[in-house]
Amino acid sequence: MSELGNLSIALAALVSAYGLVAALLGAGLRRADLQHSARNAVYAVFLLLSVASGILLYQALTRDFGNAYVASYSSRDLGLWYTVSVWWAGQAGSLLFWAWLLAGFGAVVVWRQAGYRELMPYIIATVMGVSVFFTLLLAVVSSPFARLAFAPPDGQGLNPLLQNPGMFFHPPTQYLGYVGFTIPFAFAIAAMATKRLDDEWIRATRRWTLASWFFLTLGVLFGMQWAYVELGWGGYWAWDPVENASLLPWLTGTAFLHSVMIQEKRDMLKVWNLVLIVLTFGLVIFGTFLTRSGVLSSVHSFALSSMGPLFFAFIAVILIVSFTLLALRLPWLKSAGDLDSLVSRESSFLFNNLILVGAAFSVFLGTIFPMISEAVRGVKISVGAPFFNQVNVPIGLALLLVMGLCPLLAWRKASLANLSRNFLFPGALGLLTAVGLIVAGLRQPVAVTAFALSAFVTATILLDFHRGAMVRRGHGEPYPLALGRLVLRNRRRYGGYVVHLGVILLFAGMAGSAFSSQQEAVLRPGQTVTINQYTLRYEGISQYPTQSAMVTAATLTVFNSGAPIAVMNPQRNIHRGHEEQPMTEVAIRSTMMEDLYVILAGIGEDGTANFKVIVNPLMMWMWIGGVLMSLGTVVAFWPERREALRARARYLVGAEA
Amino acid sequence: MSRGKKKFAIAIAVFVLASAYLAYSGARGSMAYYLTVGELLDRAPAITGSSVRLNGKVLPGVDWDQVSGRLAFTVTDGSRQIPVAYRGIVPDAFKPGAEVVLEGTYDGKTFTATRLFAKCPSKFEAKPGGV
Repeated sequence: MSELGNLSIALAALVSAYGLVAALLGAGLRRADLQHSARNAVYAVFLLLSVASGILLYQALTRDFGNAYVASYSSRDLGLWYTVSVWWAGQAGSLLFWAWLLAGFGAVVVWRQAGYRELMPYIIATVMGVSVFFTLLLAVVSSPFARLAFAPPDGQGLNPLLQNPGMFFHPPTQYLGYVGFTIPFAFAIAAMATKRLDDEWIRATRRWTLASWFFLTLGVLFGMQWAYVELGWGGYWAWDPVENASLLPWLTGTAFLHSVMIQEKRDMLKVWNLVLIVLTFGLVIFGTFLTRSGVLSSVHSFALSSMGPLFFAFIAVILIVSFTLLALRLPWLKSAGDLDSLVSRESSFLFNNLILVGAAFSVFLGTIFPMISEAVRGVKISVGAPFFNQVNVPIGLALLLVMGLCPLLAWRKASLANLSRNFLFPGALGLLTAVGLIVAGLRQPVAVTAFALSAFVTATILLDFHRGAMVRRGHGEPYPLALGRLVLRNRRRYGGYVVHLGVILLFAGMAGSAFSSQQEAVLRPGQTVTINQYTLRYEGISQYPTQSAMVTAATLTVFNSGAPIAVMNPQRNIHRGHEEQPMTEVAIRSTMMEDLYVILAGIGEDGTANFKVIVNPLMMWMWIGGVLMSLGTVVAFWPERREALRARARYLVGAEA
Repeated sequence: MSRGKKKFAIAIAVFVLASAYLAYSGARGSMAYYLTVGELLDRAPAITGSSVRLNGKVLPGVDWDQVSGRLAFTVTDGSRQIPVAYRGIVPDAFKPGAEVVLEGTYDGKTFTATRLFAKCPSKFEAKPGGV
């Protein structure tokens, strides 16, 4: 079986290389047969990698521990679904997952978007070029089918930290988002290669960009959620290089998502859009590399990781090819429109982009700081969370402000009447919120600003919904129907606003973190610890075995201002096969106002227990914000009927031709 | 340059300068040497007492008093070693053989860590034949 797996991967690498060459020759020589053959190569690569993936899953499910990869990440007592997750649990498997997704997306483009005949050879060449890199890594450096000389009786098992539902949410969504951005990148390359530099490539990939952004957003949020419930330090973001790796393409991808609208509406920022998608794809590859090697958080130099130089060479190739092509096409990329006024919709998009790219740059700089300092001064110096926070908190506030201003500013030049009409009420509400919070005793300037801006932006968005609905009601529709139809008939715009509302909740939740409080206590049974209005009484320890672990659970009765409200059970569990690594299972009680988060940090022989209790305000707001962001993206993604009809008309015309 | 463009250039310059200042002051506040065990010992007299980040692998023989939360162990870079004292939440990934990053100070004998990070096992690969 493993031989067949190796063969599939080797063939996939060869066919990818063939597809790349055939597509380029087919385009250069205008040979339809070669172009056709290149299209089939994409299907073939997808088929071959599906076979390889199927074999890996089969070996994992049949406990073939002669496969070194399967033996490293699974064991006989691992449940069915976690055994499936072995596909992306380790380096070799997740590279296979990446390549398989890429080939799958490529196949979808070849199949569904065949109408882009001139672009297609270059799209295929780009996708196959990326595929060559990943399949070569799989074939030469990191094979998921390496055999052990002797098959051990049992595997080493999946690390208990990964045995969490997050394993099915975070890595797959993250990868779907990462890989998805390859498609807009491929269209951008094709647009430059063919000099078809109007907004065709942007319109053709709007859904790919949205879907990739959707999954990347989910990936980041699921990662935060997972860290929050599993890592047991009470937070959701630590500016760890791997976390930064997931955020970087999200930031530039978000900038791209916004700036393409300017090209569609005003025929401006053409070069900038191309730069953004190239950067986003470069950061995707950079992020894949960081996630799969952890190399930056280690002091060891890159040379020790055999994949490091290959990844950096690949990123260099991507950047050199893309930017050379871009430089050659500059004469064709003149903007038709011009920026007229600082106070206009266009310029607010410009500042949105500046802010997002500025944030990405600072996060990138902070992440690779140890490398830079080693190159410059010969010693590794790293920057910690204070650096990232100090830069990104003001940037986040500025982003929030622009988010409120942008959608209500007029195109070209906003007049004073436009400003007062749209911003008088929201501005007043924002100020009122700030004053109210200060009177109520809130003293953190950053948090007060964040809440005031949140109120301001929420008001601007709701005001826009209201005005739109009122116009429709003027035509005789009842208000709720008018509101519903308004959203459904303008999905892109109002879907975007729903995403913005989600972002506001997310930011408000983050601002709430400024007011978190914590308390440590060593308690004997019967003793209590008090934090804010909560009193927790430690009742005792209980121990019981489950299928895979020995559970040690503390029982705490929680009182809110004297009244019992809940019983909480933080645990420390010993999983079979991982006796040296106890698993801390925190207990969380969430309300709209705050989370009560209890960690059982340790247990003494005599039943004395060491607790850390944290109160995190507004955590629920963050998760609800994430849900809204996802919902809004789905609304914006959903084809509008008009658009669907137009697409159908195009298709019919194409069929006749 | 037209008057409109000049306004934009000024606005962008203000933004860039403000961010650069934030980045500079943020970096100054949180920069710390990021050292291996050997590098720390080589630089020992010069960096004694200042905040550094230390990377190493945990040796077997961990002394952990769960009730007080006090943790004593030794980190190594493969050849040299430093004893570490820490008090606080111990991450699950911490165990002998795990790679850790510590923040704290070295007094010439012991590294007193204020923060302890252990590598999430999904995020690095065991080197073939490694510990």
